[in-house]
Amino acid sequence: MTTLTRQDLNFGQVVADILCEFLEVAIHLILYVREVYPSGIFQKRKKYNVPVQMSCHPELNQYIQDTLHCIKPLIEKNDAEKVVVVIMDKEHHPVERFVFEISQPPLLSISSDTLLSHVEQLLRAFILKISVCDAVLNSNPPGCSFTVLVHTRDAATRNMEKVQVIKDFPWIVADEQEVHMQEPRLIPLKTMTSDIVKMQLYVEERAQKT
Amino acid sequence: MDELYLDNIDEYVNDHNKIVTYKWLSLTLGVHVNTAKQMLYHYLDHKRKESSAQLHATYLVSGKFVDNGQTSHKVSVVREDQLEDFKAKMSLVVSVHVYSVQRALLRDSGPLYAVDYDAVKDNLKNCSRYSAIHCASAVPMSSVELQQAREVQQAPTPEPENKKAGMNGDTSPVLKSSAKPPKGIMGMFANKSAPKSQDKTKEMKPEKKEDIEAPKSKPVAKANPVANFFGTQTSKKPEKPVKEEEAPQSSSRAAQQLERSKPEEKQETVAPVEPQKDTKKDSRSKTKRLEDSDGEEEKMEKKKRRRIKKPEPDSSDEDVIPDSPQPVVTREPSSPSPKKEVEPDRHSHPSSEMKIRKRRRVMKSHTFVDGDGCMGYSLYVYTQALSCFTCLYLFMRNLCIQGRAGIFCEKCVLSKNALASAQLNFFSLRDLIAAFIFLQV
Repeated sequence: MTTLTRQDLNFGQVVADILCEFLEVAIHLILYVREVYPSGIFQKRKKYNVPVQMSCHPELNQYIQDTLHCIKPLIEKNDAEKVVVVIMDKEHHPVERFVFEISQPPLLSISSDTLLSHVEQLLRAFILKISVCDAVLNSNPPGCSFTVLVHTRDAATRNMEKVQVIKDFPWIVADEQEVHMQEPRLIPLKTMTSDIVKMQLYVEERAQKT
Repeated sequence: MDELYLDNIDEYVNDHNKIVTYKWLSLTLGVHVNTAKQMLYHYLDHKRKESSAQLHATYLVSGKFVDNGQTSHKVSVVREDQLEDFKAKMSLVVSVHVYSVQRALLRDSGPLYAVDYDAVKDNLKNCSRYSAIHCASAVPMSSVELQQAREVQQAPTPEPENKKAGMNGDTSPVLKSSAKPPKGIMGMFANKSAPKSQDKTKEMKPEKKEDIEAPKSKPVAKANPVANFFGTQTSKKPEKPVKEEEAPQSSSRAAQQLERSKPEEKQETVAPVEPQKDTKKDSRSKTKRLEDSDGEEEKMEKKKRRRIKKPEPDSSDEDVIPDSPQPVVTREPSSPSPKKEVEPDRHSHPSSEMKIRKRRRVMKSHTFVDGDGCMGYSLYVYTQALSCFTCLYLFMRNLCIQGRAGIFCEKCVLSKNALASAQLNFFSLRDLIAAFIFLQV
């Protein structure tokens, strides 16, 4: 029954934590469903009370965690507009882009006690949608790799370049080649609106993948 | 039956790209589950004839399997492409029906669970309204009976109930009984039936009412003798949660390098897994207490008692030193048989046990990842005396024979300080805890 504003950093941190946890699970699930890595490295774990597939490979996990660790301060300050998981073929041309558009309402109001369980339910729906997305997408060519891009509002990246959040994990400005895709086809997957965050997930797919 | 449902299912499957399970369909459309299954079947049939969109289906197959001469009844959800293979392997197919229909090819069963989760949660009170499984005697208790049941449980052990937070309700039987050691040999004979039926009560509370009547008077009476029994050790009242009992013990023990927090957490997780086997365990643990009461510190005794309670029944074969079966026979005809299996081990244990108690054992437990990238649990044990080592070796050998653990180093090497060490790898956390607790004494 309290109303908090954006200045309340504590709550901003809570939202960032929730989103980063979700993004970690989502990235692992995307890697599993799109067969970017062989399914043998994945292990069933529990998140939001449902089984999800997470990878056991330590370097992959570390990479994803470091990535999200750097993104977290941007989300806290509401500077991150989009987080994109790009799947690229052997020539490093993107074939698929999973775009998470994130926006946080200016006035965060915790108006109900069941807020977090409601958010959990919505995130569960996202997980489910990612699990069945291969029905609407064409299969990828073999030998794909992935990367994570962040689109920020204004010039927040300038700060990121100055301050290395994690040592030896630098962020660089993405190439045009990675950002734009030829002949993209847009497939919306899921949208969620809640008091603390609004998120939309859609997939941009290249018309011809091979 | 009108054909409207075909359009409904079509909308869910094709437009919304949902996974339509029969359970979800029955809750959404408000029909009996068998009707939902038929609807899915007809829809699948219809669509396949039209051969329009690509659809995948999963089936629930149940039937008899013969494995090494043992028949078992297996119920599985299989993908359509594996269906025929699966049916061929079964000796008798009891039932096959459509489990779900979806556009995507599911690589694992996770989404099938996720899909029903919210629908069931919303309809929790009447989730069996459309179900085909009925039991005439399973009626909800009236409010009066519910009140009585609550009073019975609240009276004896208010504190172990605190630990329920974060765990299933089923943990309370185990915690409660471990917090109530008997008064003595005679006390044990007198009160043996009470905790056992109490446990049963807790487990079967929602289903059976008859068990509730038995322990009503007993638990209250027990509280006093138990408190007297512990006499000087006022800090260790049985009502206190198991965790607190552990804490004074750990400080008093020589083995201070033990990672206490981990085992405690692990013990709590072990507890919820065992509710069904409680009754059997109780009988054996009670008799174990008889053995232990001769000339031991009370601390050790309590530790032992808890030790027996916590491990799984299958692993307690080596932990439990059986006593005379007479007190057991009167209450549970099934328990003497497991007792008899344990008899042979008995001889090696008592003597070694005495020695173990006096010696030090230091253990570290940690998780490891072996070559295949699979997680396991390992316990690194070393002792300071050769006599300990022999019993340690016997213990490990037993575990290996039972297939519950692997020994990392086949030979236990005696180093310069007369230290014998070994690393035991366990496949399940439960077994690790059981071994850990056993070896601590």
